[in-house]
Amino acid sequence: MRRLIASLTAVATAAFMLAAAAPAAAQTEVTLWTHWAAEKIKRDFVEDAIRRFEEKNPGVKIKASWYEKTALYAALKTALRAGQAPDIFYAEPDQVEYMENGFLLDLSDLNWQNIEPWAKEAWSYKGKPYGFPLEASTVELYYNKKMVDELGVKIPDSLQLSPDAFLDLVRRAKAKGWTPMSLGVGDRPFPGAYLTHEALLKKLGTDDYDKLLKGKLPWSDPRVVDTLKWLRTLIDAGLLPTSFTSLKLGEAHTYFHTNPGAVMFLNGSWYTSRAFNPPDKGGQPKDFPLGVMKFPAVPGAACNDCRTLSVQGSYVANADTKRKKEVLAFFNSMASEEAGNRWLENVLVQTGIKSDVSKITGPNAEYFRLLAATNKDAKYYFGAPSQIMQGKAKEVFTQVINNAFPAGTIGVEDAVKQLQASY
Amino acid sequence: MTSTATLREAPPVAPVGAPGQAGATGAVRGPAPPPDDGVPRPYGTILAFLLPALTLYAAFTAYPFFRTLWNSFHKVLPRRSEFVGLENYATLAGDELFWRAVRNTLIWASTSPLFEVTIALLLALALYAKVPGARFFRVAWFTPVLMSYVVVGILFVWIYNYDWGPVNAALRWLGLGELARAWLGNPNTALPALIAVTTWMWTGFNMVVLLAALHSLPKEVIEAAELDNCGWGQKLVFVILPLVRPTLLNLVVLSFIGKMKIFDLVWITTKGGPLWSTETVSTYVYKRAFEWSTFDLGYPSTIATVWFVIVLAAVLTLTYAFRLREKLEY
Repeated sequence: MRRLIASLTAVATAAFMLAAAAPAAAQTEVTLWTHWAAEKIKRDFVEDAIRRFEEKNPGVKIKASWYEKTALYAALKTALRAGQAPDIFYAEPDQVEYMENGFLLDLSDLNWQNIEPWAKEAWSYKGKPYGFPLEASTVELYYNKKMVDELGVKIPDSLQLSPDAFLDLVRRAKAKGWTPMSLGVGDRPFPGAYLTHEALLKKLGTDDYDKLLKGKLPWSDPRVVDTLKWLRTLIDAGLLPTSFTSLKLGEAHTYFHTNPGAVMFLNGSWYTSRAFNPPDKGGQPKDFPLGVMKFPAVPGAACNDCRTLSVQGSYVANADTKRKKEVLAFFNSMASEEAGNRWLENVLVQTGIKSDVSKITGPNAEYFRLLAATNKDAKYYFGAPSQIMQGKAKEVFTQVINNAFPAGTIGVEDAVKQLQASY
Repeated sequence: MTSTATLREAPPVAPVGAPGQAGATGAVRGPAPPPDDGVPRPYGTILAFLLPALTLYAAFTAYPFFRTLWNSFHKVLPRRSEFVGLENYATLAGDELFWRAVRNTLIWASTSPLFEVTIALLLALALYAKVPGARFFRVAWFTPVLMSYVVVGILFVWIYNYDWGPVNAALRWLGLGELARAWLGNPNTALPALIAVTTWMWTGFNMVVLLAALHSLPKEVIEAAELDNCGWGQKLVFVILPLVRPTLLNLVVLSFIGKMKIFDLVWITTKGGPLWSTETVSTYVYKRAFEWSTFDLGYPSTIATVWFVIVLAAVLTLTYAFRLREKLEY
């Protein structure tokens, strides 16, 4: 009897342990908090990547929670402090505070062979990489080919207008009652700054431009002042919409391609994520004559081929995660040229994952050909000012260079003085 | 006058339970026994009743207050904090953006109550005088206060839009097109434009409170004034306004405090721009705590502490000044 009871107990214990162990093995859950709740094509890409990963790793489930960026950042700040943050979360390289405070997992063990070196560099802090760079973008000057033709302006083969030709284009557009360039800062801290930082980058070249952003070159440098004065000439010629200060990003897109229509639109190359949607969802009209040219040459520029390339939406891992192996496996599952091409083809914006544009086919192949042409011979500076500058300098840059200077409410001298005092 | 004077001349009400006086409880249970009568007090019951409220107060008011004060003397980073003494306060003293935010907030808090309460009084008098359509206007004028700042903010971003906003459209229609501008995009007009929004939003609330005060005025006083051949203007200046003065002052103080804390409307419409012309202390604290790429809560706590002291001092000053005036009057 005793033996029977002992046997039954042993069997029951084994069954219990098996029952307990089996679901645990099948239920390893990796949590992911991510931006892009409202950006369907990026969300589709990530959900597809999760599905592919889960198929190959049956014991692991990725539980994604979708947010809008502001809400996500606020939630993360609290969750990280409280030790309740997810295993993986969305971040951008300018969020150095995560690295400074030891919240991020060192991703040195990741398979970096299929990641662009500049993207890895963008996420490196004290020699170690911390982010998986999904999204990258350049600043592009989009234009309406039909309107430019009607103005009698020919875009040269180099795709870059000279300073005089650009000013002439602006004046011709104004004379016709058209807005030369759509741009608005109603709800974003960066669109107005595109104008200034692309011009300053060309004027100074990458090294001095880097010094300027980091406070090692004074804003009173004559080259900086000259560039701002040149930009002021363009602004005074009526380059931007009269509603520039209140025009929101989404409205600026529509302003360019639909109503009332502008000749040009200076925007990140993620223009496509809004404009290539159906027209009833805010996309550009069917058969819209979209052209892409280079930012105009800047008078006396050190490097007219210089342009900004910045890493944006990325995934990072929580330093306290107990599922490091699964997290790295998930990142590695996206670190392939095939995944990079899938991102390009579906999201229509550059990525930090290595990809091959020549393999892109279908209706958007022509767009990538245009993008490749404007980026030919480009010398990149990696990172937007908002990613390089911190604290007060960043705040002043946002208020002055993004808003007040292009709006014409502050002069060159005042702008220089305020920026100089911000470091 | 009579009723106010009567109230003022009434003997002070003794505290509940004071020896020899029947308070609200004493009226039912008889005079409260002296403290050393040897009767055991139900301290356990008292504590049981007080504990929930005290716990909530301690957790959500007292602790955050003292923690903020403590933080203000520290650099508060995740997993560690470092005592920095008065360093945060010294930095704040030289923080140009903070003082700009203080100036904007004080301008807002000192002008807005005047507009709100003055217009509200005029509207309340119109309703009190039963203008045609009074019932409709009472609802219409009160409606804005029912909306959230988020909705109002979005609404006014459209209303102030340069190209197609109704304000500029009206100006152009009136032949005043040269006055059209980006109201929220111009550093000179952004703050007044937002003050106009809060005035529009809160006037209805003030109006309803004042209307209630007008309706509760003692009829015999009004009738006595009418018997003395007082016209509307005289009744207003010599009878109605003195009688509703306490309500007016309370509304001014309430509005003042509300504007000293304003955040949501600014965040939705301008985020403190352009050129910090609409930056308020609340938006600046938020930026420093959550948008300046730092986890440090010490400096934002310093701003919050200093601002608390400023608001408290302002409210006490206002209250003191109003009391002084009352003393002078009587």
